[in-house]
Amino acid sequence: MALTKEHLLKVYRDMVLIRRFEEVVEKYSKNGTIPGFIHLSIGQEAAQAGVIDALKVTDYKFPDHRGHGAIVLSSHPEDRKRIMAEIFGKKTGINGGRGGSMHINDLAVRNMGFNGIQGSTVVTCLGTAFASVYNKNDDVTVVFMGDGTLGEGTCHESMNLAATWKLPVIYALINNQYAISTFYTDSHPQEKLSDWAKGYGVPGETVDGNDIEVVIESTSRAIERARNGEGPTLIEYMTYRWQGHFSGDPAAYRPDGELEKWKEKCPLKLARQKLIETHAVDEKAIQDIHQEVEEEIEVYLQFSLESPVPAPEDSILHVYADGIQVEGRK
Amino acid sequence: MNRKISFSKAINEALIQEMDRDEKVFIIGEDVAKMGGDFGITSGIWEKWPDRAFDTPLSEAGFVGLACGAALCGLRPVAELMFADFIGVCYDQVVNNAAKLCYMFEGKATAQLVIRAVTGGGIRCAYHHSQCIEPWVMNIPGLVVVAPSNAYEAKGLLVSAIRSNNPVIFLEHKGLYNKKGEVPEELYSLPLYKANVIKAGSDLTIVAAMSMVEFAVKASQELAKKGIDCEIINPLTLFPLDKETIINSVAKTGRLVLLQEGPKFMGYAAEISSMINEEIFEYLKAPIKRVTSLDTPVPFAPVLEDYVLPHYDDVIAACNQVMSF
Repeated sequence: MALTKEHLLKVYRDMVLIRRFEEVVEKYSKNGTIPGFIHLSIGQEAAQAGVIDALKVTDYKFPDHRGHGAIVLSSHPEDRKRIMAEIFGKKTGINGGRGGSMHINDLAVRNMGFNGIQGSTVVTCLGTAFASVYNKNDDVTVVFMGDGTLGEGTCHESMNLAATWKLPVIYALINNQYAISTFYTDSHPQEKLSDWAKGYGVPGETVDGNDIEVVIESTSRAIERARNGEGPTLIEYMTYRWQGHFSGDPAAYRPDGELEKWKEKCPLKLARQKLIETHAVDEKAIQDIHQEVEEEIEVYLQFSLESPVPAPEDSILHVYADGIQVEGRK
Repeated sequence: MNRKISFSKAINEALIQEMDRDEKVFIIGEDVAKMGGDFGITSGIWEKWPDRAFDTPLSEAGFVGLACGAALCGLRPVAELMFADFIGVCYDQVVNNAAKLCYMFEGKATAQLVIRAVTGGGIRCAYHHSQCIEPWVMNIPGLVVVAPSNAYEAKGLLVSAIRSNNPVIFLEHKGLYNKKGEVPEELYSLPLYKANVIKAGSDLTIVAAMSMVEFAVKASQELAKKGIDCEIINPLTLFPLDKETIINSVAKTGRLVLLQEGPKFMGYAAEISSMINEEIFEYLKAPIKRVTSLDTPVPFAPVLEDYVLPHYDDVIAACNQVMSF
């Protein structure tokens, strides 16, 4: 199922936004402005943009630790600069600078957050899916995971329970082929990780994660199944991360030539080709998109750079609800 | 008020009355629905609300994780850990998720869930069905650890735990399940974060929780015959602790004995002792004493388990030592 020209233009722009967002974050991480670890998703834009595109705002989303793209696209346009400010650790960040790159949530759009532990949200996501059933609505839950995540025992508990109770969960497994340095076939016996779902009687599918049309089409089918009460689906999106595990990792564990081969399959390049060849979009229209995104990213960046840092004593707020306050410094 | 019911019946009553009051409350865990729980605590709930009582696969991480997610959606899950020891297999969800959700969401969403955990020794079930887990969860800001010692407290505190917007580890000592006490039939709540002064006294403060309260009461009666007037405090909420009640008591008596069923190292007794030393050292008339288990796993054979668990005689000895210092 091919996308309309307008739809493809929209998601192309989404992917450009992720790419530029990540490149800017990389720059300011490497120059020391952004504290802590940064996990970049350059090369994986189609899987993130496509899944988010297929969802409603009210669907629950659990991003993964390489999830800046899915997070920023989930957020309301006016809040997107606050996602970058969060990564910069600023008071204006979407979580007040309390969480940073690895722990961004945005309740307004039901981004339920990543919690920094692989396989943890894979069971938490059962609860939002359960709540949809309990409250008798048709909101589905998408949990992003990686090829490495599948090694965690919680994946079994989650899939077993979701399949038995037919919970509306979509397991969005972005296979970028490396868990830090370990190649995925060195840690899993399946040739296709989607085959893992078969043992639970759950449909599993491995798709080209760099082709955004394929991502949207396969994800939409899974979402429809979930909304119809037919239970979970696992989709494995085959892709590749261009950077190391974290910003600064030289990724010396990858064989020579592998990155170059995958750069040829760049998801942006693929979509651009389709726009030009199938939809007769001209080079100028493409450049306009890039220019527009550039201006938008510049707004995020200036906002992030100029925003104040949090008040230090804000760190003691919200440890507990119900007015229970922990002690600060005396 | 003279109706007497067991500790376990009191918990059952709290669950039913809260579920009746708030349809967001549901129960989840292994064998909690059709069977009514391994200890029978949730009996009768599934019959009344088949859509609000859920038997899960054996997957503590799965159903505690589910409870966290459901809480974020505004529901009020009450999950049962058949034995508190099983918290090991869902520890990530408890400490990295439930405990931190309110903080991560800046209070816009909270983890209003209760994990009922069946705790404590004395039933000859050894290593993995007998432990006191409170220190495992008391070092985690964001969690609330509640520990009733009788049926009245169990009902009132569980009601408050369910209504709380914080994640509560609700410790139910299995040795107390069959003990009866006076419990009002109507719905009532007892405050969280507030210690209970079981008996006022002037010479010596004894702090005790759960199964240890019985030792404290018995010891105070025995010591009274020798003219020693004990004040007994049950923290009820072990974390965050009602420091004020304990500090005020020890400032008055100048003497403190702490009773704790679990191993000695790093337990609540250690924390309270440290707190008193920091806050009111100058009021102490004698060194603080602790009565605890030995620092071993809990063994099986009755003579072995009895050797490891706290002895009543140790309580009397500790009180006498403190009084004669």
